[in-house]
Amino acid sequence: MENTYLSELKEIKVDEGSPLFDKTNMFYKEFPSDFRQIRYFTLLIVQTAPLEIKEINLLEQQISEIIKNAVKHGNKCDPERKVRVWYSFSPQHAHLVVQDEGDGFKDLEKWNDFNRKRLELLSRHDFENLQDYVSYRTLLSDDNDGGNALFAALEYWNGGFVFNTKRNAVAMLKKYPQKRQGISVE
Amino acid sequence: MELKIRKNGENYIIDVNGEMDLYNSYKLKELVMKMLEKKVERFIINLENVDYIDSSGIGALIYICSTIKKMSMKLIITNIHGSVKKVIELTKLMGYFPITNSIEEAIQQMDE
Ligand SMILES: Nc1ncnc2c1ncn2[C@@H]1O[C@H](COP(=O)(O)OP(=O)(O)OP(=O)(O)O)[C@@H](O)[C@H]1O
Ligand SMILES: [Mg+2]
Repeated sequence: MENTYLSELKEIKVDEGSPLFDKTNMFYKEFPSDFRQIRYFTLLIVQTAPLEIKEINLLEQQISEIIKNAVKHGNKCDPERKVRVWYSFSPQHAHLVVQDEGDGFKDLEKWNDFNRKRLELLSRHDFENLQDYVSYRTLLSDDNDGGNALFAALEYWNGGFVFNTKRNAVAMLKKYPQKRQGISVE
Repeated sequence: MELKIRKNGENYIIDVNGEMDLYNSYKLKELVMKMLEKKVERFIINLENVDYIDSSGIGALIYICSTIKKMSMKLIITNIHGSVKKVIELTKLMGYFPITNSIEEAIQQMDE
């Protein structure tokens, strides 16, 4: 049972009805699709997060990946097109919805198949064949696309990583372990 | 991001300083490709002074690693720590990259 649950969790979902798309009480910011300003826009959002969840830049890095995808793959770096971000942070969670004005992540199923294959090879320690599965590339990928951001995203956003029906908006949730007062549980 | 090359015997140590992000990771890729053209065979990439990496940085490391493998040259990545380590772990590439904890260990492994 546990296993089915886990493997179910480790894929990108499409579900517009997901509670992760409920934007009640979330903050909102929008940005033009300027590639040079992706890290700056990310900082504007992350600076509102409490210190304890900003742990060693990881939250910032993970959010910048999603904004980068929206700017680059969604809006094709067209400054006329906006990236819209809803966000809410607490010591226990990070919740974001990032929406672009593009045609959507059409090959999402292909990506899930690719990732499933990758995880299979990893679990078999088959590093020989893993070579072909360390980077997800499409005909539109360029030299600067690593093709790996969403592999990490799926691991990081442990509360879910879900696209809307048009696949141009993605909602994500990270839950942080509760730390008891005075005792650090590592 | 700043890149410095040191030589230790046959080994070329590349010290990376700063952030390996979407704006500058290509520089490391370009440097390694140039060094390969100049027939350098043994690379040690030192990430001691890198506290931030993103998917472009990981992508650069994947590209460098697979190119060097294909050419049967040697590569070791060393001093991975903090969020760099976390990102590599999230991407599940700790077993894929040739990694050591220190430059000394890397040099030792090169000679094996
Ligand atoms: N907002 C989006 N709109 C359209 N396609 C998207 C979007 N987000 C992701 N994708 C698709 O998902 C693929 C994988 O994304 P991922 O971020 O993992 O890799 P990448 O962007 O190609 O490279 P990098 O690892 O450097 O981010 C992309 O190549 C793109 O086809
Ligand atoms: Mg990306």
